[in-house]
Amino acid sequence: MSDQTTAYTAVHGEKISLLRVLGPGHVWALGVGIVLVGEFMGWNFAVGKGGAQAALIACWVAGLLYTCVAMIDSEVTSTVAAAGGQYAQAKHIVGPLMAFNVGLFLVMAYTMLEAGNAITAGFLIQTVAGMAGFEAVHDKPFIVLTIVALAWLNYRGVFASLTFNLVITAIAFLSIIVLFLALQPWAPTLHRLDTLATGLPYGWLGVIASLHFGLWYYLGIEGTCQAAEEVRSPARSLPLGTMTGMITLLIAATLTWWICVGLMPWEYLGQAITPLFDAARLTGSVALMVLLFIGTIFSTLASANGCINDASRAWFSMGRDRYLPVWFGAVHPTYRTPFRAIVFLVPVALVFALGAPLDQVITFSILSGLLGYTFMSFNIVMFRKRWPVGRIKRGYVHPLHPLPAIVLLVLCAATYFAVFLGYGTQLLAMMSFYIIASAWFHFHRYRYVRRGDQFTMPWPRPQGY
Amino acid sequence: MNAFTLLEYAAWIISAGLGLWMLIDMVKVNSRFSEDVLLSSREGDIEDHLVIDPEHQRHR
Amino acid sequence: MAKQPYQPPEQSMAGQVTDSLLLLALVIGALFLPLWLGLAGGGKTTLELPEQTWAGMAQTPAMQAQWEQLGYTEETAAELIASRFDYSFSWGALALTALVIIAYFGFVFRFSEQEYREVIDEKFGKP
Repeated sequence: MSDQTTAYTAVHGEKISLLRVLGPGHVWALGVGIVLVGEFMGWNFAVGKGGAQAALIACWVAGLLYTCVAMIDSEVTSTVAAAGGQYAQAKHIVGPLMAFNVGLFLVMAYTMLEAGNAITAGFLIQTVAGMAGFEAVHDKPFIVLTIVALAWLNYRGVFASLTFNLVITAIAFLSIIVLFLALQPWAPTLHRLDTLATGLPYGWLGVIASLHFGLWYYLGIEGTCQAAEEVRSPARSLPLGTMTGMITLLIAATLTWWICVGLMPWEYLGQAITPLFDAARLTGSVALMVLLFIGTIFSTLASANGCINDASRAWFSMGRDRYLPVWFGAVHPTYRTPFRAIVFLVPVALVFALGAPLDQVITFSILSGLLGYTFMSFNIVMFRKRWPVGRIKRGYVHPLHPLPAIVLLVLCAATYFAVFLGYGTQLLAMMSFYIIASAWFHFHRYRYVRRGDQFTMPWPRPQGY
Repeated sequence: MNAFTLLEYAAWIISAGLGLWMLIDMVKVNSRFSEDVLLSSREGDIEDHLVIDPEHQRHR
Repeated sequence: MAKQPYQPPEQSMAGQVTDSLLLLALVIGALFLPLWLGLAGGGKTTLELPEQTWAGMAQTPAMQAQWEQLGYTEETAAELIASRFDYSFSWGALALTALVIIAYFGFVFRFSEQEYREVIDEKFGKP
């Protein structure tokens, strides 16, 4: 075995076991797979921050924000198709320090999302065991099991688990649809939207504040671009897959909102950990409860699996470029996975999943995502300036430039304000982290980085340099 | 001690087992291969050799 | 190429371990410091409820039915119902936060630009 594998170790690590075989359907499934868990947990904190109606407005405004993200990302990725991901984009378009930060955004956003998934899975098992009559049940063993087992799967090569991942995502999506149809919210018997959805407890300020968790409906859809190098024709498949993914999520998010808001008082919903499962409990149907239990568990597993994959890739790429200790840039000779990065991130995810409350973990994840979106709006403007349309071949040119970039920046600013309301200290703690890390990189770490080697695209010299 | 406690212990044991498996495998790989081989991947190499998956390559 | 490409020093194992641990400490510090200092979720207040009955907590019979089906009593639900975010903020704090974010992006873009020029010069040669 080892003779055969050593011959292939020079293969680019991110291409592990994956050929250019994916179509738009896979891109759709990959994007939705990571994100869908957001409908099963987390989005409902938006209800807590602004009330039921505010959460719906936030859902649609965040949908607009993500449509801009998807359009911008599709254009850049259809050109940076070989290396994939926002990290490589930043390296080629803005510069090393920005790339280091974007890499950290990705690692943080995905690792925190993974921790949130594990917390949810553990909590759900605990709840169900409690309902089944067991006493003094713990969630910790299952949190640990989720993280370690999925890390192990990723260590062994993610290709085998990918198809499985797609299937469980589809089941999770179907469970939302079934719950919606079973509830018949349009013919209210169980579902009492009129009596339960009560106004805006915080007024319009609450609507802005709820934007914070409104992002959670979609967070991670931009991960479709990580698949750029495995897609058959990225120029066509990526925009198509990402946009249809966005539409799916918009539908799922609206249905989820409709289901939950008509079943639970907003004070409960705003602090619930597994809102869709609770909705199923309230229907009184055991079958629906089992279905939504399975749906929630599957969505957390599918998402955590994708997160481990994406986070370790980003960590690995940074190691390979020497942005981080070069030791992390290793590829497993047999499984061809970034195995050291995967192992290193396990304790990090464990610390967060075991030690921090869910809304804190989610806020950390959302903030990292948000910083990444802010970067994107600058990124596209600089991209168009340095390589104007026509100078290099683009698979997809997004319309109305620079309007999407401006809309994105404005919505990002509004969301910073939303996070500031209620989570101001975390916002500052997080910013200090990135500032210290950036200073560390620029003044210490960057001397280990080879300069010219970082630019790997076959592009001409950027204009103005 | 009830059935669920057993399940909890099972979860701990499986986690420990898989974690150990990864650690042992990592140490084994680290000692069996030289750093140069392990760190040989480069960004942008993809387009040049698409021999990524020997299994699939064989079926072509 | 007019200039010799920059040759970075090899980093020792000890240096690599130190760097990894430092980053780890930073990440954990950023998340847990606010928690340990009790600053996290400081944006919450508790409503003064007139009395801990469903009616006193402004819950309609329809809401009450849902609470009870979720397994809550008046006492256990009270804490959830009374919990509110405190959105009162000082403009000073907002200005400071905005300044930090803008300064951060300014810092990152400025130094990125500096480093980017080096990369481009080494890759394409000095103009």
